[in-house]
Amino acid sequence: MEPGGSSGVGSGNSGTYTPEIAESLRFEEEIQSLIHQSFDGSSAAGGSFTALLGLPANQAVELLHHPGPGEPPASAASSSPTAGDLWRLRLGEHHAATDALRLPFGGSSTFVERAARFSVFATDDSPASSSGGGLSPGLKAEPPDSDSPPTLPAPAGRPRRPSKRKECEKSKAKAVAKKSKSAEENTSAVKPAAEENTSGDKLPYVHVRARRGQATDSHSLAERARREKINARMKLLQDLVPGCSKITGTALVLDEIINHVQSLQRQVEFLSMKLAAVNPRIDFSGLDHILSAECGPLAVGSGCGGGASGTAMWASDTAASTGGIRRMPPPQQIWHLDLVHPQQSSTVWENNGAAHPHFLLSPAISLVGYDPAGSVPLNSNQLKMEL
Amino acid sequence: MQATKSFEQAFLRHLLRGFRLSAVSYKSMSLQERKSAIKLSADVAMASARGSRKWTRGLITKLSREDEHRSFLRLILGTEYGRRTKPRHGSWKIPRSKKIVRRSLRVCSRRKNNLRAPHGVKSGVLARTLVEKRTHALKRLVPGGESLDGCSLLDEALDYVISLRAQVDLMQKLLTTFEAPKLRALSKCTLPERKASFVGK
Repeated sequence: MEPGGSSGVGSGNSGTYTPEIAESLRFEEEIQSLIHQSFDGSSAAGGSFTALLGLPANQAVELLHHPGPGEPPASAASSSPTAGDLWRLRLGEHHAATDALRLPFGGSSTFVERAARFSVFATDDSPASSSGGGLSPGLKAEPPDSDSPPTLPAPAGRPRRPSKRKECEKSKAKAVAKKSKSAEENTSAVKPAAEENTSGDKLPYVHVRARRGQATDSHSLAERARREKINARMKLLQDLVPGCSKITGTALVLDEIINHVQSLQRQVEFLSMKLAAVNPRIDFSGLDHILSAECGPLAVGSGCGGGASGTAMWASDTAASTGGIRRMPPPQQIWHLDLVHPQQSSTVWENNGAAHPHFLLSPAISLVGYDPAGSVPLNSNQLKMEL
Repeated sequence: MQATKSFEQAFLRHLLRGFRLSAVSYKSMSLQERKSAIKLSADVAMASARGSRKWTRGLITKLSREDEHRSFLRLILGTEYGRRTKPRHGSWKIPRSKKIVRRSLRVCSRRKNNLRAPHGVKSGVLARTLVEKRTHALKRLVPGGESLDGCSLLDEALDYVISLRAQVDLMQKLLTTFEAPKLRALSKCTLPERKASFVGK
């Protein structure tokens, strides 16, 4: 996914302004303003950062719905509401998932609600899904997502949102994780489609349809609803964990999930070990100082240049420069273009070379991570040889 | 399912901030210490970027139990620290009425006895113990999962898997960004020598 995505965005960058670029521009601005706190957010951003994040084109369009978080770095509190709308299913996957999920469970509206809720994981889902647990008020801020989720379930033809809110209200009101059902639905056979959710937002009960030939007492209904809940989540987890879709049976699927989580945790440990091995030559202490000095006089122009600067700023921030590096001779610039992000098309950057020599170069050198005292002349020699 | 860009960006922001904060003593640390510092800032960044979830709270609580991490956490989270680590409502237990629970247990056991007698097969019990064992294992893996019930555990596990995946992706990208220039420098160093030898011939 990553190389494809980044190449896609890279090719987009080489052209004119596209909506994706505009969106990533905004993100780049935020990132830069966060990373370099003294930086005036006049720099345009480009696809490089998003390329770095592996943003494919269709997801960039999704970002249009979501105004980027522009909070200052100090307030981490504000990041939680904006980070609240975190999970988005890709459009194609969503349709496939809902199609798959809709078939076997014709009767249960709650399952359908859950499926939709997991498919489009809006901020007001998290209170519902945490089952009346910590409903932090910050999570309720969901302006950007209120548009997109209704459009997505709408094609499915079911108003799921009201039922989700209903569910949320129910769990809030009762503060009980168990299912609650209305008293009327103890009649099994003839009942208007329980999936029809009322348009009212705040119904306290979830209507569960009892299937034909099954017990209709409240306990079994509760149990069945609970089981369907668990089955819905198991299905989602099955889709998430690779290689799990063919496995039948709860225990085996749980096995796979556990293995997956363990492998991810081990990967994190391993990667942090590798990063620690890389890091000794990189010192982050002089970061802000360097970047404020370098970035002040720069006037970043087009999106393409922004792309370079975006990645460069990101890279420079992580790589941080050692204290002594300030000014780089221009010949090193092209070297940096290849260096920082190998996936980027070099043509993009060469076009805007003139604008960002200083800016790119300190990250370039810092990326190499050498001691300022000894190796500067050595590196410049190497660079001249390359050029 | 995928993590959104905003999450990844918030994650990256916090990660870089954490690196900057912890980098002061980098030179004096051994590899192990550096690795745990990096892992710590990565975990804290993931938890704070995600917002307020059961597993994030559990993770932060677990990390803040060790004294050495506490100052770091306080720096990173700032005002969030107090809010996140205070145990919400004591360990959040789903309020249950004892009478109802007892009644339902009675009904359930009665029904199970009625069903079991004709079949005489213990497969259901076996399956249940297997599932229970795995549920316990999952509870141990997901931070803060001990006090969760079945379906919210799966919820949190889903969330946790997505964030872990995003974390791994981000760290891999960081790594390639660090190492790519070195590799390229190495490969490019060899080129001029080859060119020179060519010219010479």
